[in-house]
Amino acid sequence: MSYYFAIIGTQDNPLFEYEFGTSKQGGDGIARFPEQARHMNQFIVHSSLDIVEEVQWGGGQMYLKCIDRFYNNYVSCFITGGNVKFFLLHAPSQPAVANTTRASTSIAANPTSPQTEEAIKQFFAEVYENWVKTIMNPFYQVNMEVKSPVFRGRVAAAGKKYL
Amino acid sequence: MTPSSNASPFEPADSPGSSSLRLPKLRGSLDSQSMSSSISTLPYRNSNASVSSLFASTSTPTGSRSVSPSGNGTPSRMMSGSVFGGLSGDGNQLSPADRPEDPRSLITQAFVPHIAVHTSVDTKELVKDKGFKGGLWELLRPFGERIQGKVTVRDSVGAGKTWEDFAVRFVELGDGLELPEAVSGSRKSAEGRIVAANGTKPIPGSVIAKRMRTGGDITPIETLVDRHLSYAEEFPSMSGEEFFNLKDSQRSPDVPSPFYTLYLRRLLSGLPLAPHETFSHPVACVIAISSRNTNPIETLRNLYDESSRGAKRLPLWVNNEYLRYYVLVHDEERDDITKSMTLFEQMKRHFGLHCHLLRLRSSECVATDDDSIQLPRCEWLAAPEELAEIQTRESQEDIEISYPCIYESDTTAIKTFIREMVTQSIVPSMERCVVTWNDQVASRRRGISGRFISMSKKWAFGGSSRSSSNGPTSSNSNYDALQGFYRPDAPEAVMRKLADYAFMLRDWKLAYSTYDLLRTDFNNDKAWKYHAAANEMAAVSQLMMPQAISSKVRSETIDQMLETSSYSYITRCGATYGALRSLALGMELLRLRGGSATEDAARWGTRLLENKVVGVVGDALFKERVSACYASKKGAGSELWGSRTRKSALWSILAADAWLTLGKIQQSKQRVEEANGKYGMLTNQDSLSHFAHANEFLEALQREVQLALYPESGIEGPGQGDDLIDTSIGEESEAFVSRPHRRSVMGQVAPLANLESAPLHGALLEGNGEETPRADQFE
Repeated sequence: MSYYFAIIGTQDNPLFEYEFGTSKQGGDGIARFPEQARHMNQFIVHSSLDIVEEVQWGGGQMYLKCIDRFYNNYVSCFITGGNVKFFLLHAPSQPAVANTTRASTSIAANPTSPQTEEAIKQFFAEVYENWVKTIMNPFYQVNMEVKSPVFRGRVAAAGKKYL
Repeated sequence: MTPSSNASPFEPADSPGSSSLRLPKLRGSLDSQSMSSSISTLPYRNSNASVSSLFASTSTPTGSRSVSPSGNGTPSRMMSGSVFGGLSGDGNQLSPADRPEDPRSLITQAFVPHIAVHTSVDTKELVKDKGFKGGLWELLRPFGERIQGKVTVRDSVGAGKTWEDFAVRFVELGDGLELPEAVSGSRKSAEGRIVAANGTKPIPGSVIAKRMRTGGDITPIETLVDRHLSYAEEFPSMSGEEFFNLKDSQRSPDVPSPFYTLYLRRLLSGLPLAPHETFSHPVACVIAISSRNTNPIETLRNLYDESSRGAKRLPLWVNNEYLRYYVLVHDEERDDITKSMTLFEQMKRHFGLHCHLLRLRSSECVATDDDSIQLPRCEWLAAPEELAEIQTRESQEDIEISYPCIYESDTTAIKTFIREMVTQSIVPSMERCVVTWNDQVASRRRGISGRFISMSKKWAFGGSSRSSSNGPTSSNSNYDALQGFYRPDAPEAVMRKLADYAFMLRDWKLAYSTYDLLRTDFNNDKAWKYHAAANEMAAVSQLMMPQAISSKVRSETIDQMLETSSYSYITRCGATYGALRSLALGMELLRLRGGSATEDAARWGTRLLENKVVGVVGDALFKERVSACYASKKGAGSELWGSRTRKSALWSILAADAWLTLGKIQQSKQRVEEANGKYGMLTNQDSLSHFAHANEFLEALQREVQLALYPESGIEGPGQGDDLIDTSIGEESEAFVSRPHRRSVMGQVAPLANLESAPLHGALLEGNGEETPRADQFE
């Protein structure tokens, strides 16, 4: 399972991007996106904005769950009060693995299962907390890219913890 | 990073059930790999006028192409406007289908009654004298596609409805039999398998010709569309002109590219004769003799016997009780009309009303004759047939256009004959069949007792007496699981025929309710191919009904049916053709409905791509269509909330990439421009430019298209990363060795100012004497 996490500002501009892999079940935490298709992650997230703009009016929830799918890539979204969107693109590894019985319950294999949903929710909640702390920086302005290594480290830790 | 080494990694590597059609996507490798048939190796040199007219269906602007010989003067632009206006709301009522590209008119023109033609030897000779080697059906076929005047059809409730565009398809008796995996019970298919097994055995020409006229295979369709595309690439002035003509309507997704229309049309032409659907089973059979015959009544009897019992008998699963229509072809030039009249009277007495006297001139008509007119071109050729036609035209050395011509008096006679036959015999007899079957079989099934019967069948109380006779596998169903078909007199087969008849007569409601009944029956019998086909047609007929469908009903019925149908076709039967047809039709019809249905349409399009049922050309075309599906969704308010602009643009880019991989630069250029236009519509127009990788990819794509179109601009321009660009040119030019002009343009000649002169220039450099006529193409 590989993840691509992106924070998109109010003008559809990316504020923060981070790629990582699963750390559960012996994963090494490294993203395994094919090198030639790196641009696709960005395209997919960008096109998912269409869906978010429709779904966000549906309910009062900040966590919008899995909103979009592109081939084998699933996109979950979390929208903050300031109309900044968190996107998590998760691509389950190809079902080449033989031990399906054990993998079937894991987060990695079922991108739409309730467990995965819950795990992503916890991940988003933790990132959100750190995000709010980061942008409280007095030098931060709206839609500015976030380059803080501390924030990056916290996102990585959250990813490791939950996904 | 350039996308030149792009092996499309964002698509799943290999899903189960993927077809072997799909090939590794390597830029520029197409010519050597996928189009490995002899077609691709053909030289492109002989592009004379007669060849170019073969590509008219894709190379002329849609608006100016008249479909009926009478020439419809209505500009298509106005029509598309009206379609557009009617679709603003969610699941609105549908406006009538007028344009030939409209999927609904495509469907009504594709699923039409098939009329088999069976003639005596002397008739064949007479028609051969006229210059038609195939026989009478070849002469009739183009006229069957557009029946003169209106045809009134009565539906199951008795209400008459008038159609202007009613059509029938003339085939030779026995055309369209599925050869390879056909049912073992039929004699014909066994024969076919032997032929296929040992290729050394000389195959009779008639069998080859028959196979040519049978569609139902995706590969030739791909090859054909690829040929059309190559032609458009070769003469970009044409597609450019077309592009400019369509520019105002280009934004509207209702106008598909001509290549996509061609793809769908070929997908639906030459429907193979198969047990699981009866569209290509003959509705009637024309039995014809000519006035040259010495023993007419006897010959007619023999022909009848042949068609119902003898050598020409269709396989067991075809209902043999179709209408026979007797025709006497009178030779105007050699025979006496009074004699023919008496014979015709005699025929009427013997065979009843279904008779016609067709008066034709027997001498061959040439273009210079006084009242000669060109035989109208057939729109519904099967893909292999059209390919063969292109091939023969290209190999012809002379530039003379040698289209078959016929006398005007003959066309009038044929048109009158077809009209009379259709309105007085075929449509009434179909109506009668529908009423009878509906009364005797379907309504009994629909009633309370019918439900009980089907339930008792399911739970198998009683009825055990019948089960023993039915073979080892089935319990007490009518399905012959060993041979894989229902006998034509089984209620299920009759109902399928009823539904298909209703569909062909455009009584969508009756068709839908019958297909719906059949779905459960076939499911219980585990007749998977039947099951898939019934689901497919149920979805299509429901979508053809003009009523609005709420999104809840849609997800409960149509989604279910399309899902089941594609699953059954692919996983249970391995029939990719069926899956492609059902998903493509479902997608197009859903897209027409606008609103949230477009979302479903795009989903089915994506499913089609995921299942990899199409080849490389189809892949690019369907990416284009997914983009069009998303573009069909209209947003609300000034911010266009709920529109799918970004999605649509993404799919346009994917399509552009796919076209570039195939070396179809013109198409790629159009798609890139489309994508840029869509990004320009957004509130935050430059939002994509903040995404580093995506932006880089898009720019690289644009650069590559530019380079392929105007190579000198890249060589001279002070570009960054020149090395990179140069290598990509090298790859591209290798792929285009079959096209002389591209190579010569690459060869550092003086920069060419405009594109139009490029092919001509290249041709002159090659020093090819035959190229001179090509210059005329550009005027």
